[in-house]
Amino acid sequence: MTSPVIDQVALTVVDNYLTSCCRDMGVTMMTTAYSPIFNESLDFSCVIFDPAGNMLAQAEFCPSQIGTIKFTVDWTIEELGLDAFEEGDVVLHNDPYRGSGHVPEHMLLKGVFWEGELVAFVANVAHMSEVGAKTPGGLSGDATEIYQEGLLLPPVKIKRRGEDIEDVWKIILANHRTPRVTLGDFRAMMGSLDLAEKRLHRLIADHGLQFVQTAASDLMAIAERRMRAEIEEIPDGVYTFEDAIEDDGITDHDYPMKLTLTVAGGEIIADFTGSAPQAVGPVNAIYAVTASAIYNAFLHLTDPTIPRNEGCYRPFTIIAPPGTIVNCSFPAPVAGGNTETSPRITDMVFGALQHAIPDRVAAACGGTSSPFLFGGTDPRTGEPYAHFHFEGVGWGGRRGLDGNNMVVTINGNCRNTPVEVFETRYPAFRIESYRLVGDSGGPGEFRGGLGGERIFTVTVPEVTVSALLNRMKTEPWGVLGGGAGAVGGLWVRRGGASEWRTFVEEFGTMSPSKFSGVTLRDGDQVKILMPGGGGYGDPSRRDRALVRRDVEDGFVSEQAARTVYGLEDGA
Amino acid sequence: MGLVIGIDTGGTFTDMVVFDPATGRIESLKTSSTPSSPGRAIANALDESGVPAADISTFTHGTTVGTNALIERTGCKVAFVTTQGFEDMPFIQRINRKVLYDLRWRKPEPLVASRRLCLGLDERLDASGSEIRPVDEAEVRELCQAIRESGAEAVAVCLLFSYVGTEHEERVKQIFAEELPGLPVSVSHEVAPIWREYERSSTTIADAYLRPLLGRYVRSLDAALRDAGMTGDWTLMKSNGGAMLAAAAADAPIQTVMSGPAGGMTATQHVAEALGEPNVLSLDMGGTSADVGILVEGRQRHTTEYEIEWGLPAAVPLIDIKSVGAGGGSIAWVDAGGFLRVGPRSAGAEPGPICYGRGGTEVTVTDANLLLGRVNPDYFLAGRMRLDASSVTEAMEAVGEPMGLDALELAASIVEIANENMASAIKMVSLERGHDPRRFAMLAFGGAGPLHAAAVARLLGVPKVIVPQYPGVFSALGLLLADIRVDKVWTQAFRSNDVDAPLVNRQFDRITERAIGDLRQEGHSGEPEVRRAINMRYFGQNYEHEVEIEAGELDEAALERAFRRFDALHAERYGYAIDGEVIELVSFKVTVIGRRAPLDLSRVDGATELPRSSRQVYVRGQGFVDATVVHRSSLEPGEAIAGPAVIEEEGSTVYLEPGMVVERGAVGSLVIETGVEA
Repeated sequence: MTSPVIDQVALTVVDNYLTSCCRDMGVTMMTTAYSPIFNESLDFSCVIFDPAGNMLAQAEFCPSQIGTIKFTVDWTIEELGLDAFEEGDVVLHNDPYRGSGHVPEHMLLKGVFWEGELVAFVANVAHMSEVGAKTPGGLSGDATEIYQEGLLLPPVKIKRRGEDIEDVWKIILANHRTPRVTLGDFRAMMGSLDLAEKRLHRLIADHGLQFVQTAASDLMAIAERRMRAEIEEIPDGVYTFEDAIEDDGITDHDYPMKLTLTVAGGEIIADFTGSAPQAVGPVNAIYAVTASAIYNAFLHLTDPTIPRNEGCYRPFTIIAPPGTIVNCSFPAPVAGGNTETSPRITDMVFGALQHAIPDRVAAACGGTSSPFLFGGTDPRTGEPYAHFHFEGVGWGGRRGLDGNNMVVTINGNCRNTPVEVFETRYPAFRIESYRLVGDSGGPGEFRGGLGGERIFTVTVPEVTVSALLNRMKTEPWGVLGGGAGAVGGLWVRRGGASEWRTFVEEFGTMSPSKFSGVTLRDGDQVKILMPGGGGYGDPSRRDRALVRRDVEDGFVSEQAARTVYGLEDGA
Repeated sequence: MGLVIGIDTGGTFTDMVVFDPATGRIESLKTSSTPSSPGRAIANALDESGVPAADISTFTHGTTVGTNALIERTGCKVAFVTTQGFEDMPFIQRINRKVLYDLRWRKPEPLVASRRLCLGLDERLDASGSEIRPVDEAEVRELCQAIRESGAEAVAVCLLFSYVGTEHEERVKQIFAEELPGLPVSVSHEVAPIWREYERSSTTIADAYLRPLLGRYVRSLDAALRDAGMTGDWTLMKSNGGAMLAAAAADAPIQTVMSGPAGGMTATQHVAEALGEPNVLSLDMGGTSADVGILVEGRQRHTTEYEIEWGLPAAVPLIDIKSVGAGGGSIAWVDAGGFLRVGPRSAGAEPGPICYGRGGTEVTVTDANLLLGRVNPDYFLAGRMRLDASSVTEAMEAVGEPMGLDALELAASIVEIANENMASAIKMVSLERGHDPRRFAMLAFGGAGPLHAAAVARLLGVPKVIVPQYPGVFSALGLLLADIRVDKVWTQAFRSNDVDAPLVNRQFDRITERAIGDLRQEGHSGEPEVRRAINMRYFGQNYEHEVEIEAGELDEAALERAFRRFDALHAERYGYAIDGEVIELVSFKVTVIGRRAPLDLSRVDGATELPRSSRQVYVRGQGFVDATVVHRSSLEPGEAIAGPAVIEEEGSTVYLEPGMVVERGAVGSLVIETGVEA
């Protein structure tokens, strides 16, 4: 018999090992992938599962992918059956109506075998920069059905017993505009799975299968127990909140979302009954995305040291009526559900609980990834290119702390693409500026973080652009008396013009924030404004010294300091 | 030839080694560091050693002055100058976050003085380095005026694409020198000529941030050494394992961030060579942290990945060393979930562990070792410091009680967790880069390294642990051995199917010449060793790997061989190579090494007659058992001691687990056979 602490030590070791294994899959991805969306932005997540589809470990990747991938894996196991997996097989899958977050999110899944027995799955879900949608880069802002959002792949094997299945590869590569990059990225993903497989083999060789399985199950039990204990700290009750997606690219009206949270006995029921019917355009969330957004919120509200595995999810029930914007039905388009609707749902949980747990919540973050897609042919080399460009936002204020300036929205954890990498890889644009925007943080005792602004100039004869932004009309709200952060925006200035205009004004798109396939020409400019975060608490209570410092540093203007914060001259 | 000395200032102790080339004798001593005024510990060490400064011919120093100023944020007021439109770069950063799911997380604060001091210039290069808008001299001069009025103490300049076109930064630097003479200006293409503007600017800002401080430190230490009668030049250890003249280091302070651990790796390489051990894992455990490194086929690994804190990179060349907060002073605590953790917080030199009796109240690794009988309370620092166990038991009980552990079980758990933490760090530098630790020997040093090494080796399956002579001051010993080393980089992208070989050859020659010029300035007159490498990646990838290039003219055949080496390296690291893929050449690097005159450190004094004794040590599952206690100097050649045993010496203690055997090896080392199957 070992003492309880030895058990805990051993568990810590296994948890750390699995987590660092996920992290290293990420490093392999970063260092070997071809697209900046992988190697600079890190828009991927590496996760380990047991054969029953329980998530065993993850690392600092994108919360929306991590929450969704468990549905993707479950579906794959369900559809193919465990018997279909042989050693060396790799399955590819991206179909949102089979549990993927949206079409660009490609999951590779590999079974790990030990002495002939399937003992684990290693998985990598990643946002491919080109997916063969109606416009380069996918996320077409005016798509009306899933078929316009890219090549759909149900769970299919791309490797059997370690050998590439060439026929499937040919189909995929024939459908993507940038096959060379697609192939390089898939190789990187497969490399990361191979690494994880080796690591798991080593863990089992060192400790024995029985030990690893027991540790994994203990770790899930610990996570569940700790998550329930954390939920018990939230006062029991029924809490509600409403917010809305502002338009869907096709029809110009709000899509309200209604959340009723029931907290009781260490469990949570999140009920979306009363939310708007599904949209015609691509702002719909599939059930997996909605569930993932709820998990994301509660993981943010609870102790960050809880082991991040399946056990965390067990205390949750999510009710999302089919046919609504939070659980759309086939074949509605879904691209923006994963990038835009997801952070909105997560923030709604904070809004609902602001009075119940004021110490833990934050005001709304800017809540958009500001997806801006472009593609074309490099006039220097004739090579095709496509890119999913996204931006950060201001985050909401929290008790005792201002919100962070310019951090990627809460459903992701991606990096920006350096200007020097961007211009080297993509000849289409020169970046003129990339800066913070004063006064964009919502006023509050604890101010919202600042959003930003980026201006691009087209430097090629023509380039095709698309967009799928949000929070251009509906403000990132404050909590407990805090004010809203500034909204974002998307503007264009045709060669030589002095005025910025919307894409509706310039190109007649249906929405200023969501459209696809607009052609820009040499000298045209685009400006993306990124929303700020909401404020926390009454701005008149803000420490005067901090208001003055904000003015000195240009985070807040003198005028706003006087009118919004009530700073008196000479005070 | 006079005395050769090395002084290494760590977080807890300052170590000094004095080598007399005439006799081959080595003297060493350890004294408490004085973090509030680091120079004082050096003066103390010189005083205590009785070495007349006038007899010193060579002095090399390893310091944590720079590292500490970065960690404690005590550097200077920096103004940041960049391309107009990108002034907020230090605040925007890379927009990702360190931890998921933590609403309380705060983005790292940049080291610039304020957003007001982030200033733009209306100039621009494109991605190929071609000029879009020239530098406007009048604008630069106006900016200088603004900086003068702001009271900034140093300036960091990072213009877009300066890693490929340096002219704009050079011009700006020149105007600054005219307008603001005497104000330190760090320029990005000199500090860190790498792509990715945020990483380059962060490194440049950190360099500027340390300039006045390191300048003052070097000047005051220099004055003190001169006053004491030292006449020669002295050098500082750089993070890359090379030494540079102290005066030059003051102008490139970011190069010194890993100065101390670099000394340990240098000594490791020397001893490994002497022992004929090509593959070595090093474990340097001091008071504050444990630093681990690796030698493969006798070579160190170098990298440029260093972070001041998460999100604030300083991309300078350094020996690849992994630090974990597992030192003798590391504090044991219980997290919110009831898990026992050790470190990274340390009790440091003041107040230190509970058993130092200087007011420490938190349980540390050293306290645990004392309670387990592995450290001798009467022979710590050869008896110059007495350890007091009286309040340790009570403190251990208080921490262990909620987990149902008595003091001894808790102490054993603390040591085990610290060992696990070190083993994980070693896995990161070995297993995770494809090296199986079971094929390596472990070299253990630092005050606490030899105490833990045997157990860490057991966890990793390492068959052999070597404890070199002078383990307690080993990093200081490395300072005596540091060569002068200069790295130069030229950045220009080529694809493998279209390399301008004549241009590459010319540029290699140019940077080699510059590097040798620097070497001469740093006082080296011998024939330098030149190493060349090209950073490569498959076209499309954004992260490159260094591929060594053979000497001589780089022709098509030589390039082809280099490409195949890249394929092999990629396959080794990631499990695959891409046949026929275009390879991108990203940058070209030259390292010149000026070798120091070799020192003969092999002198081993004969065994002394000291009584053997025994004492009780606690072993998990067995309770207290009798362990043999031997003074290291009394160990006879050929004599084997079986564990459990404790080998004591000044500055360090070796602990041998039951079942292990130690013998005296070559050049005065101790060799432990761990008994694990390799």
